Amino acid sequence: MLELQRNVIFGQFVDTGSPIHKMDARIKLIATFVFIVASFLIDSFLGFALVLPLLALIQLISRVPAGYVLRGSRFFLGFLVFILFFQVLFYPGEVPESSYLWRWGFLSISTTGLYTAGILGLRVIFLYYVTTMLMLTTSLVDLTNGLELIFGPLQRIRVPVNELVLVFVIAIKFVPIFIGEVERLARAQTARGVPFDEGGAFKRARRLGRLLVPIFISGFARADLLTTAMNTRSYRGGRYRTKLRQLHSTATDWLMLLLVVAWMLAAWQLPDRLLS
Amino acid sequence: MTHDAGEPPIIELRDFRYTYLEGTPRASEAIRDVSFGIRHGERVGIVGPTQSGKSTVVDAFAHLLRLKPGQVFYKGEDVAAPGYDRSALRREIGIVFQQPDSQLIEDVVGADVAFGPTAAGLPAGETRRRVEESLNALNLSYPEYRLRYVHALSGGQRRRVAIAGVLAMHTPVLVLDEPMAGLDPRGRRELLELLIRLQSDRDLTLVVCSASLSDASLLCDRFVVLDGGRTVMDGPVREVLREADRLAELDITLPETVNVVRELQELFPDLPADILAEDELEVELLKRLGAA
Repeated sequence: MLELQRNVIFGQFVDTGSPIHKMDARIKLIATFVFIVASFLIDSFLGFALVLPLLALIQLISRVPAGYVLRGSRFFLGFLVFILFFQVLFYPGEVPESSYLWRWGFLSISTTGLYTAGILGLRVIFLYYVTTMLMLTTSLVDLTNGLELIFGPLQRIRVPVNELVLVFVIAIKFVPIFIGEVERLARAQTARGVPFDEGGAFKRARRLGRLLVPIFISGFARADLLTTAMNTRSYRGGRYRTKLRQLHSTATDWLMLLLVVAWMLAAWQLPDRLLS
Repeated sequence: MTHDAGEPPIIELRDFRYTYLEGTPRASEAIRDVSFGIRHGERVGIVGPTQSGKSTVVDAFAHLLRLKPGQVFYKGEDVAAPGYDRSALRREIGIVFQQPDSQLIEDVVGADVAFGPTAAGLPAGETRRRVEESLNALNLSYPEYRLRYVHALSGGQRRRVAIAGVLAMHTPVLVLDEPMAGLDPRGRRELLELLIRLQSDRDLTLVVCSASLSDASLLCDRFVVLDGGRTVMDGPVREVLREADRLAELDITLPETVNVVRELQELFPDLPADILAEDELEVELLKRLGAA
């Protein structure tokens, strides 16, 4: 609790200077999009097993320590297991009589339910992993520029792209700030006799309730401050701004993207072909 | 000074090192090597520029970090030893943090100040007495402020509520991190007087963190100077102030009188460098002017 930043790494940027960090942000964003689409199309354990080596490869090349990412996903994974437990117990789909393992009123555990929950869990983990890796390897500036360039053409039909991207990026980057804030509050309240570093999981979770009001207040104060800061510096949307950092895509970047697309196609299609 | 040198320190840091998020790619080394002890009844100023490690040292006192054994001791006991009663430690060391908002727990002033005594299991009557006493000590009249919403108060008032909340716990050790920040000159003077009074009334051990020596020099009798996570100076206030050049190099704000003395030394090279108060300066100057 006193070092919460270890357990929640969503939205953080860790610069290791790896080839993935140096990739064009636009290509990384498109690749992430491909991953997201693939996560919805793949619907077998074999398919996800095929994805795994590529993710391991990305992890290796990025030089972000795997242990750091795993430990930083602890809260998220714990929450996921909690949700999936209910998904299995209240499985609403059609279940053949033979697949029931246990039944009590409307609660049940069935192989069909377990299978669906398993696939769902893998899908969410996959989604979480690729978005986390995108943020771990892409700086805020690159992320903003990349998104603005990709969605730029939509401005012709009066979509406020710059504003939307700005809101999205601020929202994501607020997560680490928020975590730091919770940590600071927890530390100060521990000093006053709320022992955040003791007791079981339930007790600790209940103490978190005490942080809600100050967290909201500081959140609003921060938003207010940001607005004032942007106004005093005459912030206007990107159309009027020039950029110091230009994005450049290389042949390697495109090859990487091609690899991702091909790999995802294979993970989607191969299991069916192999099994039929 | 109210202690004798042979007494063992109440708080002690031994070869203290600390790295935030150790073992992750975002690790940052805050404390490289800090060793010092604080004896009962001492008034110690921990001074240093920003990022020198002051706040980390404060957090270490009450074991608010992931400490390793063998570095931080309270009354001779290792606070990071397995089974050490951290809650008891935190009832002994009261900390007023840099941002008062972070340590306000309840919505209403009275309830917030009562939080510590209640959590320590004191009877309601005693708790009420302490709340009244602490609020009044900080010039927040009990009947007027008791039911006010904490978050509707001004920054200076919130700081005073935060201090009252810590005072109400009657801790033998009081630690204040940048207590003067955000207070107007009158608020500073009042707080200074209050702290001096409390220290003598309650036989407190007082620790004050600051990047400025002007407030701390009036309150403390010993300075520990930190820079880049290391202890660079440690000694009685006057002794430390004698090395004014070195302090100025570290970006530590010197007391006004010391700055004046430094300028005057060009005219009077024999003027002592450890003059603290304006009265002393006057006496020294008159001596020299009379001689001329």
